[in-house]
Amino acid sequence: MRRSSRCVSFATVVVLAVSVSACAMLETREAKLQAVKTVGIISAVGDEMSFARTGLTGLNNRSQSFPIGSWGLDDLIVQQATTALNGRFQVRPVSYQRAVFTAIKDSPVAPVNLIRGDPFKKLVQTEVSPQGLDAYIVITKAKANFGGGGRKVEGVGFITYGTLLASSNHIHALYEIRVIDGKTFDVIEKMTAQPLDNTEAVRLPGPSRLVDESFSPSTGDPARNENLHGAITDLIARSLSSTLSDMHLADVR
Amino acid sequence: MNHPVQACFRSSRTVVARQTFLAPLLTALAAISAVSDSASAQTAFTLPAPPFELPIGPSLSGNWTVMVGVGGEYKPDFVGANRSMLSPVPIFSIRRAGSAEQFRGPRDGASIALIDCGDFRAGPVGKFVASRKANSYSELNGLGDVGAAVELGGFVEYYPVDWFRTRGELRQGIGGHHGVVADFSADVIIPVIQRFTVSAGPRFTWESTKATSPYFGIDAVQAAAAGLPVFNAKGGAHSVGAGVQVSYRVNPQWEVHSYVEYERLLGDAAASPLVALRGSANQTTVGIGASYSFDVKIR
Repeated sequence: MRRSSRCVSFATVVVLAVSVSACAMLETREAKLQAVKTVGIISAVGDEMSFARTGLTGLNNRSQSFPIGSWGLDDLIVQQATTALNGRFQVRPVSYQRAVFTAIKDSPVAPVNLIRGDPFKKLVQTEVSPQGLDAYIVITKAKANFGGGGRKVEGVGFITYGTLLASSNHIHALYEIRVIDGKTFDVIEKMTAQPLDNTEAVRLPGPSRLVDESFSPSTGDPARNENLHGAITDLIARSLSSTLSDMHLADVR
Repeated sequence: MNHPVQACFRSSRTVVARQTFLAPLLTALAAISAVSDSASAQTAFTLPAPPFELPIGPSLSGNWTVMVGVGGEYKPDFVGANRSMLSPVPIFSIRRAGSAEQFRGPRDGASIALIDCGDFRAGPVGKFVASRKANSYSELNGLGDVGAAVELGGFVEYYPVDWFRTRGELRQGIGGHHGVVADFSADVIIPVIQRFTVSAGPRFTWESTKATSPYFGIDAVQAAAAGLPVFNAKGGAHSVGAGVQVSYRVNPQWEVHSYVEYERLLGDAAASPLVALRGSANQTTVGIGASYSFDVKIR
């Protein structure tokens, strides 16, 4: 009897300890965001566009990349994010070397990424000015698998998915958003942009849509393809505000 | 090609047990289908933010795709048996909305790709091998039970092109056997249309003596009890075969799939009196299943 009462007491202490730590964790992100007044926005998504063939392809299915810096997608992202966040935060302009942020790649060995930590924390500390803002919103390319095979796609791109009887074309703008504490440089929040409510059989874990052949970069210089430019811009514009809202940074839809 | 979580609850006792298992699953499927009957994978439920957050890792907020389903697998009663039975197979997975379902074969162990270069993946793998009870099947009378085993090890996967997968698994048994098992497979994956995919390819399994003898070896005591000759089963090439899978996505929610896996036992597994006199070296597994996917949004 005495033994079972000891067990009950021990269990109660464990439950209380777990509950207290859970409450402490609950406060972490929300409390940190509450304290944020001034933010800077960094975007490094739209320097180039990939062009890949997947599904039933020939033996040479390497992806190609085309520069699309002239589209000014990153300036557009900063502008749209500024508009979305201005109600809640004071958005301050920041300067940074965009190429340094786009050069960051995840290691294919998952434990290495866990051990080395988030590389963007250090970049914000060393490459962004001014320092001293409460937080920095960092928007960078995200990577995802496409189809059931081993194909990975990243950032802004165009994919032709080949099947035995037909093929389809998809465009995507995959990006992720981090909120980095301006004092400690810890990542307060991180989220990948969500898919739009499309109903295609082949989906990506981010903003994407089906397009026709006229959007294909193979029909000419992709940077001059206005259809492609407009469609990618639309994907980003429609997804950015909802992603910021999902992160509890903006109350817009 | 959906077999994300296939925990096979094999009940060799009664068919009633299977029916009682299938009924709630089918009811749950029907209920979910009724609640979310829209024609797309749009958000079916919105859940509040979780009461706590993990100190590391990305936020849980956002859209998640939940897949539930049920299938049936008609497979030999035990490895080497010449009779088969139907077992229910539940299907369940949760993934970020839009995440691609990686191709998976019915024989694959449960695995996590810790190294993922896209066309090359590697990481730990595990497989559960159900116990073999002698009193469940008359062919096994006198041979004694073989306990359940867990096989742990590693896998490598390589896609030379998007439509061709090669995979190897090397696993060490714990529990029912203490041997080493190596599985090799290759699959040509052909999307006929976006919604319909066919895959097929050869399979080969090698097993060490310690993995073979508990199932196919017969010692003097067992021989006397079972009326079979003594047999010292050694390791080596265990089986060779082939498999075919088809999957059809009816709409963004519903998907059906089916597969046939054939293997021919080789070496001492085939030569064992248990197989040669009371069973069959030809082993065929047929599976069929249906799954329903819906999106859940976490605030």
